[in-house]
Amino acid sequence: MTAIMSWLEWCSNTSTIVFIRDSSFGMPAVQSVHLVGLTVLLAAILVLNLRLAGVTMMDWRLAEVERQLRPWAWVGATLVLASGAVMFLGNPAKYLANPAFQLKMASLALAMLCQFGVFRSFFRSEPGVRPRTANLVVAALSLTFWFAVGWAGRAIAFV
Amino acid sequence: MSLLGWCQWLEQTRLAIAISESVWLFPIIEGSHILALPLSVGMILMFDLRLLGLAFQGGSAARLMSDVLRWSKVGFAIMFLTGGLLFMTQASKAYESVFFRTKLAFILVLGINAALFQIVFYPRMAQWDAGGGTPLGARICGGLSLIVWIGVIICGRTMAYQF
Repeated sequence: MTAIMSWLEWCSNTSTIVFIRDSSFGMPAVQSVHLVGLTVLLAAILVLNLRLAGVTMMDWRLAEVERQLRPWAWVGATLVLASGAVMFLGNPAKYLANPAFQLKMASLALAMLCQFGVFRSFFRSEPGVRPRTANLVVAALSLTFWFAVGWAGRAIAFV
Repeated sequence: MSLLGWCQWLEQTRLAIAISESVWLFPIIEGSHILALPLSVGMILMFDLRLLGLAFQGGSAARLMSDVLRWSKVGFAIMFLTGGLLFMTQASKAYESVFFRTKLAFILVLGINAALFQIVFYPRMAQWDAGGGTPLGARICGGLSLIVWIGVIICGRTMAYQF
């Protein structure tokens, strides 16, 4: 743990991170990238879950919607991860001690575990093979977990 | 009353003071404003990508547009409501902010762009779906929308840093 912490502290003192953290436009720029990434990633997840729930894009098969959205979900994920890492490295100790940040990381783990594990089969086969209720429950849970990441993230600044 | 005077009056209304003084209201309204982004702007971006030929090719553009707009209307209702409430609490600072002014100008440009699309290209969408491809003008509308919406997000986030 101490080795990881000292590596994080070293990262937070690199000239790039210090420059972004301490310049007047650095943090607004990084935060803006984070929000653009959030918009793209969560929009992709939203469309996918609405299609699973059977309330939008009914002229497209679910598997095809997933295939169309996947590259854009990765674009969004790359933007949020890269900008998030820069924010985190600006002050790792502060973030790690922040309960909202801890909740955000726990929510992110849960959302990814469900998206790529527990619920995977729901997004990879057509909704018609299962009862509608099961699709609605999975869509609602998936959206709840992903948006919880956003809410916990917003709370970081307030706690 | 001047515009600035109106902003100062707005900040002193009971509603604005209640939001500012509440521990929970401001974060909840601000959080809702940000997390309505995927439902409002995000949905529009999906259609912009379709116009630019970067997603959902092959399917009906007209169907995608109606699917996307149905949800984004809900998103924009949340956006304007929460945005209006946030503005009330810091109206005179927002009035003086160059980023807020730019954000409003961008939203005006986007409104004109959307109206142009509706008038010029929307009536002919059935023809593209029949296999004509997306006209250049419609692609330009999509590209402009994509870029200017990103500009709105940047201005919105940056103005909050000055407060």
